Amino acid sequence: MATNSSPNMLTKFESKSSRAKGIAFHPKRPWILVSLHSSTIQLWDYRMGTLIDRFEEHDGPVRGVDFHKTQPLFVSGGDDYKIKVWSYQTRRCLFTLNGHLDYVRTVFFHHELPWIISSSDDQTIRIWNWQNRSLICTMTGHNHYTMCAQFHPKDDLVVSASLDQSVRVWDISGLRKKHSAPTSMTFEDQMSRGNQNQADMFGNTDAVVKFVLEGHDRGVNWVAFHPTLPLIVSAGDDRLVKLWRMSETKAWEVDTCRGHFQNASGCLFHPHQDLILSCGEDKTIRVWDLNKRTSVQSFKRENDRFWVIAAHPEINLFAAGHDNGVMVFKLERERPASAFYQNNLFFITREKHVRSYDFQKNVESPTLLTLKKLGSPWVPPRSLSYNPAERAILVTSPADGGSYELINLPRDGSGSMDATDTKRGQGTSAVFVARNRFAVFNAASQQIDIRDLSNSTTKTIKPPTGTTDIYFGGTGNLLLITPTAVHLYDIQQKKATAELTVAGVKYVVWSNDGLYAALLSKHNVTIVTKTLEQVSTLHETIRIKSATWDDAGVLLYSTLNHIKYTLLNGDNGIVRTLDQTVYLVRVKARTVYCLDRNAKPKILNIDPTEYRFKLALVKRNYEEMLQIIKNSSLVGQSIISYLQKKGYPEIALQFVQDPQTRFELAIECGNLDVAVEMAKQLDRPKLWSRLTTEALAHGNHQIVEMAYQKLRQFDKLSFLYLATGDEAKLTRMAKIAEHRGDFTARFQNALYLGDVNDRIAMFKEIDLYPLAYMTAKSHGLEEECESILEATGLTEDQITLPALGSPLSPPKPIVSTFKANWPTKATSQSFFEKALLGQVEGLSLEDEPIAASNAFGFDEAGEEDGAKRNGGLAEADDDEDAAGWDMGDDIVPEVESDFVNVDSAEAGAGSSEADLWARNSPIAADHVAGGSFETAMQLLNRQLGAVNFAPLKPRFLEIYEATKTYLPASVCLPPLINYVRRTVDETDPRKVLPIIPRDIESLATNDLQKGYTAMRTNKLQDGEVVFQGILHALLVNAVSTASEVEEAKKLITTACEYAIAMSIELERRKLGTDEEVAKSPEKLKRSLELAAYFTIPKLEVPHRQIALTSGMKLAYQNKNFNSALSFANRMLANGGAAKMLDNAKKIKAQCERNPNDAIEIEFDQFAEFDICAASHTPIYSGSAFEVCAFDGSKYHSKYKGTVCAVCGVCEVGKNGSGLKLVA
Amino acid sequence: MDPFSAEGELLNLHNYFHQGQFQEAIDFDTAGLSAENQLPARVLSLRAQIALGHAEDVIADVEGEVDVELVAVRALAESAGGNESKAVKIAEKLASESADNNTVQILAGTVLQAAGKSEEALALLSQHQGNLEAVALIVQIHLEQNRTDLAIKEVAAARRWAQDSLLVNLAESWVGLRVGGEKYQQAFYVFEELAQAPATSSIQSLISQAVAEVHLGRLDEAEAALKQAIAKDPKNAEAISNSIVLNVIQGKDTAQLKSDLQSAVPNHHFLTDLQEKSSLFDKAATKYSAKVAA
Repeated sequence: MATNSSPNMLTKFESKSSRAKGIAFHPKRPWILVSLHSSTIQLWDYRMGTLIDRFEEHDGPVRGVDFHKTQPLFVSGGDDYKIKVWSYQTRRCLFTLNGHLDYVRTVFFHHELPWIISSSDDQTIRIWNWQNRSLICTMTGHNHYTMCAQFHPKDDLVVSASLDQSVRVWDISGLRKKHSAPTSMTFEDQMSRGNQNQADMFGNTDAVVKFVLEGHDRGVNWVAFHPTLPLIVSAGDDRLVKLWRMSETKAWEVDTCRGHFQNASGCLFHPHQDLILSCGEDKTIRVWDLNKRTSVQSFKRENDRFWVIAAHPEINLFAAGHDNGVMVFKLERERPASAFYQNNLFFITREKHVRSYDFQKNVESPTLLTLKKLGSPWVPPRSLSYNPAERAILVTSPADGGSYELINLPRDGSGSMDATDTKRGQGTSAVFVARNRFAVFNAASQQIDIRDLSNSTTKTIKPPTGTTDIYFGGTGNLLLITPTAVHLYDIQQKKATAELTVAGVKYVVWSNDGLYAALLSKHNVTIVTKTLEQVSTLHETIRIKSATWDDAGVLLYSTLNHIKYTLLNGDNGIVRTLDQTVYLVRVKARTVYCLDRNAKPKILNIDPTEYRFKLALVKRNYEEMLQIIKNSSLVGQSIISYLQKKGYPEIALQFVQDPQTRFELAIECGNLDVAVEMAKQLDRPKLWSRLTTEALAHGNHQIVEMAYQKLRQFDKLSFLYLATGDEAKLTRMAKIAEHRGDFTARFQNALYLGDVNDRIAMFKEIDLYPLAYMTAKSHGLEEECESILEATGLTEDQITLPALGSPLSPPKPIVSTFKANWPTKATSQSFFEKALLGQVEGLSLEDEPIAASNAFGFDEAGEEDGAKRNGGLAEADDDEDAAGWDMGDDIVPEVESDFVNVDSAEAGAGSSEADLWARNSPIAADHVAGGSFETAMQLLNRQLGAVNFAPLKPRFLEIYEATKTYLPASVCLPPLINYVRRTVDETDPRKVLPIIPRDIESLATNDLQKGYTAMRTNKLQDGEVVFQGILHALLVNAVSTASEVEEAKKLITTACEYAIAMSIELERRKLGTDEEVAKSPEKLKRSLELAAYFTIPKLEVPHRQIALTSGMKLAYQNKNFNSALSFANRMLANGGAAKMLDNAKKIKAQCERNPNDAIEIEFDQFAEFDICAASHTPIYSGSAFEVCAFDGSKYHSKYKGTVCAVCGVCEVGKNGSGLKLVA
Repeated sequence: MDPFSAEGELLNLHNYFHQGQFQEAIDFDTAGLSAENQLPARVLSLRAQIALGHAEDVIADVEGEVDVELVAVRALAESAGGNESKAVKIAEKLASESADNNTVQILAGTVLQAAGKSEEALALLSQHQGNLEAVALIVQIHLEQNRTDLAIKEVAAARRWAQDSLLVNLAESWVGLRVGGEKYQQAFYVFEELAQAPATSSIQSLISQAVAEVHLGRLDEAEAALKQAIAKDPKNAEAISNSIVLNVIQGKDTAQLKSDLQSAVPNHHFLTDLQEKSSLFDKAATKYSAKVAA
């Protein structure tokens, strides 16, 4: 029957695998279990098309599989004779039931008892209790492989099929009685049961054969009970599908379905409809009418033989397993045909009854009409179009190549009646296009007929080729759907007026006002205007099923598992999830009306807040937003980020409490007041600097000033004061710079202030006499010139001067800009904001005129050339009339671009990172790393009075070496040089700083300990080198925090003390051996003195004890008991090792008898003094001394100007700005 | 056809070459290649030989050849062999006559850049038509000129059409090591992936990984990678020079490594630079002296 075959079966899911032998649907979830010939069991989500899990424990093919109806269990049986029970939650096999002696063919759970039934090639059927994991019944009787055995869905029956060509029905009521309630069974019961049931030949009464059905003349492969009727269907190798009926006492063959031309492998009853489905090795699935036993539909697959078929217990879904996988399919479309007009929905039920539903009263009408005769009995109608004027419906059915019927609905709606006055015809789709016209599209002939209500053609249209469907397109228009595009067709003009490329459109849904339409395809929603201009489009990964418009112009659409919304602008989101697929028909406020797959009207409640809020936002309907905000709990991160993302920071600002977020939002919407408030709360440098940028853009220099102050950005602050003409503050800045010892800043401020004298004084201070001279000369300060010449010992004719330009003098501010802010950028005060704040905060306009005129002051201040300046001023005067807002505004970006220019100039110059380091840092070490040794030396000279750099050479080179890595890049080119940073996370080229090897930490842990060891082990020469090394490393170094600076200073002091101590002791040893010293009284005296001085530097206690012990011994040996006594006392005061203290006590005791020194030495144990590091003689407190600016070692005044003996680098007595280690 | 596309026969050869697996590139079996790819394959093999320091052999090999590609190889070999003026002469001739040839662009561009003629090299390379090698070279030249901004632009543009190609990843990583911050880590991932997979590991990638680790401050890991590289080739200049840098940062002694480098590559940038700085120091230091001699 050719007409019956339907090539386009509604396949929902297909998998590719080896041969599928067993299939089971999960009763609730969209899951299917597939057991494969390859020993794997797959768990698929057929809705998403994803493989959820694989279970691989069977050895060999797995033929039977079944889900438990309520527990998270499934059972499987295979060619390894084993039955396995699995948990899909824990994803493992729980236990195995052994007993079968050959392949297990099928396994099924009992619908209520904890039983499993299995059939096997060992000719038995077995029933197992999976709770106590025991075999409870073995049913013998078949004398060939049993291919299938199933429980009856309600009664205590089992049906089985075997290759012995028979189908058997078994009574297992005995088994149930025995196992379900053993205690309640009385003796009488047992007796009666024994008598009632005829025992089989082994006296087994648990399961007895009730009927043997013979009729197949080959082996029977599958057998199944009808879910409700006493019917059985079987499929066999004789290519027949047989239907059997049974009564209480007998069973007989009803009929045979012939059609398969190869072995029939599976069969079942449709769960809801009077249909039989079967499949076979002839690669077909066939659908039979249960009542007429005629073929309804058949589906043929090209290459794959079918082995098994299964039905979903609830929904209209089937699955069939074949040689290369599994397919899940539907027999028919489930989308109920429907149309709504005003408050009525018209729809066609499963039973082909036309009904209406009243949205206002929420009641369903009785059947208005039955459409039994429409199309074929098994094909539901496809579409319904309603004509309110004539109260007529137009129904189409895809059966028999497509047909339509035009029917008038009965006026009274008085119950089920067959439509009488119907007009019908051939056509794929049919829609009303006007109150007395409808269009019929015929896909086969590619023609559209416009017909009147008497069904006569009034016009014929040739649509674009490839048209697949037509829809209403607004009055007098049609939408013609092709696979790749949609055309808007004007019926009057007989031409397409617009075209839009959208692929695969399946449905069109018009908005209630007829202005917009949603074009639905499988995965896309495209919203168009009524003239077919695309408004927005969105993509869904899950299939889109239906859509409907909210009265406000929001489209709600349903996918397989969600109801979602989209605004016209394409902004979309989820409204709610769905348990089962529904078709939306109408939205009213919080209610969604829909039809489910059984064509039953349903009402779903939704929360429209989200999309209503978004809609209000788009429409700037602030009252409604306010309303929504007040009445619903819409506050949260999501709404804030949404508002921010969509460009409504000022609204988001109203919701936020968190100061950080508030700050961000305030910056974004330019609300400086809030930003300042938040920045004050948080007080982080990053925030302040962002605030300055924003405030600068606004021209709000007061905030800029505050932020710079917070950031301690003195340079920028100075410039700002210059720009605003605030001389008083500029003067203060100069003082601050002087106080900080920052000469560059001081120079800068002096320049800004035009303070020549300060500049000259400063140059002199830092020994830049030539510059000082030049400055003085160019400003005509002859007296000053002379005094400079005098100081440097030069005369004027020894100097060659370059040509001097006119002296630089900064212009005087004309207007005091600093007194008030510039006209600030209008903060975005939306209506909404005002509404929320409950007041209107306008801008205070009074300041503006002042600010505007201030602009000149700044503009001209920027000019350097005096002559030009005057001209500029004159011009400005001319323009004074025009001076106002515009001028003020123009200035603002100029300021900003000035700042930007500085940056871009840096980047554009192509200078290497090494050059940047020197620019970025005032630390000598960073200049060294950048290879700028000269500036580094200058810095060190200025900071510490360093003059003798030779000892620092290893340190300089060491730092320099550590800064560059060599990255091999393109072949045959030198490696790329990269610069190693200590600021690893920094990418701003203005902040990157180089790595400095041997930082404070490594010096303290490595070198210092090395020095201590040298002291302890009496390797003083080595020790002196180590401590000098530490000093040199610290001299050129960098740290990141102020506390580290303190640490570094401590380390310097320690190293210095040790270096001095060691040099004292070394000098003593240089005097000669003990004998030589003893011979010369002078040397002896010096030796004793040096030993005493050795105890003075502030060493660690154990080390000081060493010095004291040595001094004490020497003094004692030379009978200087007084000194020895003092050393002993000090030792005892320090404490320490017992042996050493004993020794000290002894000596103390000895000395106390005669506390006199034999040799007078220059060492007063009671006086406060320091040791001169050069001469190793005491500097008593009160006498004048000089220090090394770096290590702090002290010297007699006469050593001023020499190189420090300790560090070997700095000039004694030359004071600089001090060691700088932190940027 | 674009030789870098995944379908290209030469993809593996290219990858070997750019991953620094030069020996693999030389050993690559070219017998099965189609006729049109034979010459490019030979050029790559020759370039690999040059990279391994066998410039003399290559010069002998291409002696008398007239294909512009092979002439360009000759130029490169001369350049690598130290005969810079001769190489530049050939390269400039090629640049004026066959500037539209991919191989000429790359090789002549390399020669010019090596000779310090960056502008000429860039002018030549900028004529490329979607050649990633040229992009990589341009990026390197920009970086050498300290124009990180231009290099970033170049890489971003290439990424748009070449996406995840090896050379784009490498070039991006080179730039990343200049930019710093998070880019260090990204560059590290690229190098580490190459260096740690046995199929792609080479001295070059190991050193690159180590360099990225130095920049990230992961000194111990960098040390391990460099040791691996030195174990593979004890005379590799970059392995030694980076080891010196690492040891200095770690505060370790570097005398031995410096003498190694001195004997391996006497004119290495590190040594010449250091020499220069040393004399600079001495010169600068003479400007200062104590007021009173001690």
